[in-house]
Amino acid sequence: MNKLQGKDLINVGIFTAIYFVVMMAIAMLGFIPIFLPLLIVLVPLIGGIVMMLYYSKVQKFGMVSLTGLICGILMLLTGMGYWSIITGAVFGVLADLVLKSGDYKSAKKGIISHGVFSMWIIGNYIPIVATRDSYYQQLISGYGQEYADSIMSYISAYTLPLLLIAGFVCGVIGGVIGQKIFKKHFKRAGIA
Amino acid sequence: MRRELLASKKKETGLSLDPRTKLALLITIALFVLSGGGGAASKQFAPILAAVPLILLLTEKSWKGSVIYFVLYGGSYILQLWALPHLSGLPNFLVVAICGFFMRFVPGIMMGYITVRTTTVSEFVASMKKLHLPEQIIIPMSVIFRFFPTVVEEYNAIGDAMKMRGIRFGGGKASAMLEYRLVPVIMCSVKIGEELNAAALTRGLGGPVKRTNICEIGFHVQDVFFLLLCVVAFAIPIVTMITGR
Repeated sequence: MNKLQGKDLINVGIFTAIYFVVMMAIAMLGFIPIFLPLLIVLVPLIGGIVMMLYYSKVQKFGMVSLTGLICGILMLLTGMGYWSIITGAVFGVLADLVLKSGDYKSAKKGIISHGVFSMWIIGNYIPIVATRDSYYQQLISGYGQEYADSIMSYISAYTLPLLLIAGFVCGVIGGVIGQKIFKKHFKRAGIA
Repeated sequence: MRRELLASKKKETGLSLDPRTKLALLITIALFVLSGGGGAASKQFAPILAAVPLILLLTEKSWKGSVIYFVLYGGSYILQLWALPHLSGLPNFLVVAICGFFMRFVPGIMMGYITVRTTTVSEFVASMKKLHLPEQIIIPMSVIFRFFPTVVEEYNAIGDAMKMRGIRFGGGKASAMLEYRLVPVIMCSVKIGEELNAAALTRGLGGPVKRTNICEIGFHVQDVFFLLLCVVAFAIPIVTMITGR
């Protein structure tokens, strides 16, 4: 019963694709320096709408973990580095555990779980801190001196935990928004 | 007729590569061209990697695509090489930003596009199976690659519809704007997804028995050549690390 069926796996694919398209649309804003650190704020806020609908279809352990892992793999393919695979898998499993503790029905646990899940985006910032020098050089060559300088001043080893907390808080807020929209639209339309 | 992405039927293409080779190339380009990792030596190697999509386009006889690709990448490369030392201030910033953008993103996007366009879903699944990846990864990944273009298409269609009704960005209604755009996109996508689900189940996906696949997949001479290129790309940063900088 607890094993994932083909149907569940297809659902994982569908919702991960929607989530990722939403994220890519937001990530395009990342070319303006101030928006890069804001990604961890904006993606959870808007992605919450997708994830809350997804959560209503999740009944088994493993689906949210897979979503996290696959988001990480896609991040690697779109050139954001390999850290996201690790953070995606870790926070995906954690979010899954939170959801499981609510028996996949509790709305509150769903919101908290989305907060936990949203922290995976931190993986995109880790290279900025872990390999700071080479990342800086590469930013200069890729985007020019000004962009590189402002990114470096926004994100440092000190702001990383702050961003992680921001991810969680915004994930929770996004979850609340998501559930409101879910009730307003999706439930009425009968697709949930 | 538009060419389908990850089509169900095979179309004639030039150089046929193993899907695994294409994936290896995609990852290599993503790592060393798109995210620019690996240090200075890899940067010298990046144009060689960037030539791979061009070769594939040429063998496919997609002349228009290859000309556009060549102009975008080659143009930025030349501009960066020759024009940059003579510029300063704002023009310099613009050239760096635009050329950097093209040189990083164009090869990756092109390679990704070639990969999904010349690979059928069955081939993709077969090659992932040969890599011994678990089904839990294979099925979602193949759904995602099949589903991406659909979501983007829906998003554009809804955008058009909203434009027709005069709902657009600005006017201080960002949240309403978002709701009007995102909610229909999600609804459409979920509906399409449900149909995809049913279609896949009738084809026996998720059944208890092992699925068979008629796609013939194997490495050929051209695969070996491109895979060697990937190995070289990965070897460069490792060698520089060992020999010291």
